[in-house]
Amino acid sequence: MNWRASCLLAVWLPIAAHAADIDPGKDPVPSVMWAFYHKQMLGDAPFVFDDRVKLLAPPFAEDARQVPLEIDARAFKGDVVKILAWAELNPLPKIVDFQPVTGVLPWLSIRIRIEQATPLRAAVLTRDGLWHVGSTLIDAAGGGCTAPSVVRTQPGWEEHIGEVLGGRYPRGEFSRVRVQVAHPMDNGMVSGIPEFFINHAELRDQNDQVLARLELFPAVSENPNLTFDIEGAGQTRLLLRDNSGNEFDAAIP
Amino acid sequence: MRWILLLFIGLSWPALADLEYSLKPRLIAPDTWLLEGSTDNFAKANGGNIVNTAFIVTERGVVVIDTGPSKRYGEAMRKVIAATTDKPVIEVWLTHHHPDHVLGNQAFSDVPIAALAGTTELLHQQGDAMAENMYRLVGDWMRGTEVVLPNRTLEPGVKSFGNHDLRVLSLGGHTGADLAILDQQTGVLFAGDLVFYQRALTTPNSPGLAVWLADIATLQALPWTRVVPGHGPVATDAKPFEQMRDYLSWLDQLLRAGAAQGSDMSEMIRSPIPERFAGINLSRYELIRSVSHLYPRYERAQMSRVDSTAGK
Repeated sequence: MNWRASCLLAVWLPIAAHAADIDPGKDPVPSVMWAFYHKQMLGDAPFVFDDRVKLLAPPFAEDARQVPLEIDARAFKGDVVKILAWAELNPLPKIVDFQPVTGVLPWLSIRIRIEQATPLRAAVLTRDGLWHVGSTLIDAAGGGCTAPSVVRTQPGWEEHIGEVLGGRYPRGEFSRVRVQVAHPMDNGMVSGIPEFFINHAELRDQNDQVLARLELFPAVSENPNLTFDIEGAGQTRLLLRDNSGNEFDAAIP
Repeated sequence: MRWILLLFIGLSWPALADLEYSLKPRLIAPDTWLLEGSTDNFAKANGGNIVNTAFIVTERGVVVIDTGPSKRYGEAMRKVIAATTDKPVIEVWLTHHHPDHVLGNQAFSDVPIAALAGTTELLHQQGDAMAENMYRLVGDWMRGTEVVLPNRTLEPGVKSFGNHDLRVLSLGGHTGADLAILDQQTGVLFAGDLVFYQRALTTPNSPGLAVWLADIATLQALPWTRVVPGHGPVATDAKPFEQMRDYLSWLDQLLRAGAAQGSDMSEMIRSPIPERFAGINLSRYELIRSVSHLYPRYERAQMSRVDSTAGK
């Protein structure tokens, strides 16, 4: 399902009838582009600025090519349809569309590129059709989107595409699963190198049940790092596909 | 038009005059002068004067240790040296390639500038980008500043300047190429940025905290009487070494334990900082930076290949 279709779906949900009644509250970050993104990302659907969606980033980007971002929507556990994240002032703003299906917490950490100081947003669509928008600001010297690839400077990097490092870390009621995928995630903004990035990922449990689906965008850092919190036992499978049609498969025991 | 020009000069003069480093040399041992910077971060208010530089007035001439963060600083340093001694500057030694230590080189382009081979290589690779970032951080103080590469290579050993024999130590925990200098007559140890004291250490080029810890042991074992850290106050006791060892060990343990538990970077930067480091300036800021520099190595050590092509 693409973004536009899902936004249309959101509009059809019953809450739409009451859209005018919902007070979105005050934008917690200074933004000149909220109205634009409200339309482009959320299709002008009803929303609230909501500090229960925790979007956690460092106050400044030490490395604008690898900025850690943590999205925590556990306050809405069981009600989350999808989570969209973007960096407002990036040339390619979209980061991720994360759809937790079952057995995975509505929590995600990921590393991204940013081009300059920017507001960051994570919009969480709950089953009642309302978007809850978490926000934060990050400062940066910039240039993370247009910096030359680090991966491509390493001899033989092509041989390693799709290699996955992973680990599972038990944490009581759930277990944390971390993966790091070897991939240049070319965003098309570095001269002479076309877009080449992982655009789809799926998590499955040991019975091949889908736990979560993700669409990834070129704001995601090269050699993507993803961290999930997974309920239930057994191994977790990760299926990946890039925009050249390469498919990769990993299993975290 | 002339009036407008005069008005403009009148208005801009005070602004330019404000950008003056007031460097106050302090005699810390015979013939040995220190220019102590603050323990703050780079800012437009301090012009990047956050660093300790020094000069030794030997019978053969003046040996300068590090040239500061900007051309303007280098020039101010040159004036301070000329006001302190009639002897000419004969050599500049750079402790490492970071911008706050080497961007005053332009003021010393008439004398040999010496550094470890690795320092010259790193400055060649990273100097322009670091200088650019300094313009962003401290602004107009940097005007006219450009990278000047060293033109002499220092080798480990002892170099004599008559009444001062300087021992060259080639270490690497901070940047991979870190010079420490022991004056064998006065016992002053110029530790460069291998030692930060009351100011959080920085790790952008560190090859690893274990390397750095080994360097601290090497330095502490030398016959020093005074330690000049790269940042922070001079000490006559071992406290700077103890603080470095404590802080480096804590950081290493923190990152190791975090990786073993599967914590992500954004969680690591929120880690509590022990109360005993409360006196160390900028520890939270530098923890955020160090997690970015170092944590990827720790987390990879706790992961293994899980893709279907592994082992094939």
